[in-house]
Amino acid sequence: MGPLRTNLRQAFYIGLFDSLPTLRDPGVIFLLSLLSFLPVLFIYVFTGTGSAALGSIAGATVLILAFTGLNAAQSVYFNKHWFRFQDMLVATGVAPTTYALGLSLGTLVVSLPAVVLSIGLLLAGSFPGGLQILLAIGSILVLWVAMIFIGFSIGTATKNLRRANSLAPILSIILGFLPPVYYPLSRLPDYLQPLAMLVPTTDAAQLVKYYFGLLPLSALNVEISWMILAVFAVVTAFVAIKRANWVDP
Amino acid sequence: MTTIPSPVYEVGLSPNQAKGSTAVSASHLSKTYPGGTQALQDVSFTVNRGHVFCLLGRNGAGKTTLLRILATQLRSTGGVAEVLGHNVASNTETVRAKIACVPQEARPQMMTSPWDHVYYKCLIDGMPRPEAKARAKEVLELLGLWEHKDKLSSDLSGGLRQRIIIGMALTGSPELIFLDEPTIGLDPLGRRMVWSLIREMTRKGVTVMLTTHYMDEAESLADNVGIIEHGKMVFVGTVEQAKAVTEMKMRVLIEPLVANNGSKAELLTPNSNQEILQIIERGLRENMKVTFKPPTLEDAFIKLVGGTIED
Repeated sequence: MGPLRTNLRQAFYIGLFDSLPTLRDPGVIFLLSLLSFLPVLFIYVFTGTGSAALGSIAGATVLILAFTGLNAAQSVYFNKHWFRFQDMLVATGVAPTTYALGLSLGTLVVSLPAVVLSIGLLLAGSFPGGLQILLAIGSILVLWVAMIFIGFSIGTATKNLRRANSLAPILSIILGFLPPVYYPLSRLPDYLQPLAMLVPTTDAAQLVKYYFGLLPLSALNVEISWMILAVFAVVTAFVAIKRANWVDP
Repeated sequence: MTTIPSPVYEVGLSPNQAKGSTAVSASHLSKTYPGGTQALQDVSFTVNRGHVFCLLGRNGAGKTTLLRILATQLRSTGGVAEVLGHNVASNTETVRAKIACVPQEARPQMMTSPWDHVYYKCLIDGMPRPEAKARAKEVLELLGLWEHKDKLSSDLSGGLRQRIIIGMALTGSPELIFLDEPTIGLDPLGRRMVWSLIREMTRKGVTVMLTTHYMDEAESLADNVGIIEHGKMVFVGTVEQAKAVTEMKMRVLIEPLVANNGSKAELLTPNSNQEILQIIERGLRENMKVTFKPPTLEDAFIKLVGGTIED
């Protein structure tokens, strides 16, 4: 078995083990999946338009995975400082990227029902070509990877439980609910729109809406959005390398 | 009886330094944490393969820091450490393939079972599913957890939970296992269960390095002990060599047979047979209870870290 396949296998089982308690409690999965759809419900109720709701479903799809990556911080923290699972794995030769991916896969497993539902709703409302679907999913995955880096950095670098539990939700609000992810960018004043475009979750949501035919974008805007996502992923990877503690300094 | 300051004793560093017989070798190891705290200073010692080495020290002395450096979980700031012949800093992956670690205060996940912990650890170690199932069964049976394999960890006692963690460490058949206070919080039966596991491991050739506060544990298990004080290794040697450091023939507790008769209990450390006879005579004359005990590892520890026997 090659190294990549070995690492992926390890990550899979780390994620599965970490998510066992939640997988055995379907009620928790149902509740966690619903949380990302609550803004969709509000938007549909208050706008009364299906197209606005469809746009917000695109936002929900983006944020389900983004929150998954961020919430890995709590899992990382508990596995490092409470269960000491990370220390046990450090001594076995599991790579830090494998471990981070594994814990994120664990939270992804929990959110999978919501992801499948949201993509299903999008497809029901607007069925683009296969390439567009792949590109939309690709943009979400790039964001997800970047959020994993942030979550891993927070979880390993902080020794304060309250901080580990609060930073991820705070970032979720800043990156998820404030920027135009659930709602259209056009709802913001003109002077705020360029700023909003610098927020990676906005770009991921714009791209998903674009690829599902819900939002017209120029080729330049598409390129800019991809570039911002890529830069964000690189920056967060750099921060994780510098700040995250796999082996303590 | 005077208070004796704590010199550095290096009695009988492990014999047989031939290549291949050393499991752990530390040379002038130091660790200063980023905030400036110096946790280890110039620590040097060796551990033979197949031996049990107990690391003793006060809270904050540097035991866990030393263990974590050897287990490749923490970087040192000076010196060299080798585990099973490989440098922990430059050959990290090679070291990790041969060791396992039970960290201090490690806990199992409450809503998963002993089977889940050990089986999934086997899968993470890279075993195919049939092999992982067989290995998990073997480990759980060895640890007396097979009958509890499907119970949630939250429903198990502290001793059984600790066995789960040890079981996770044993899945990969390590050559050397680090145990950081493995019996803390366990009842006497639970502790003895862990001791018997450690003896079983060493019978199979596994080297065990553990930290503990329990002197009886070190006396029962250790081939060699190391005593750390303020980040410095103040003693390395056998338990008997440590006791010899006390330079006591024995310790004597002389206490009144009847309470509140005006006499107080005293702890004495006679240095000669003459003094022993004088204590006995005093006991008979003053109707006191006289208890003779040989020096213990605890006495040696107290002396080496700068306390007094009478404290």
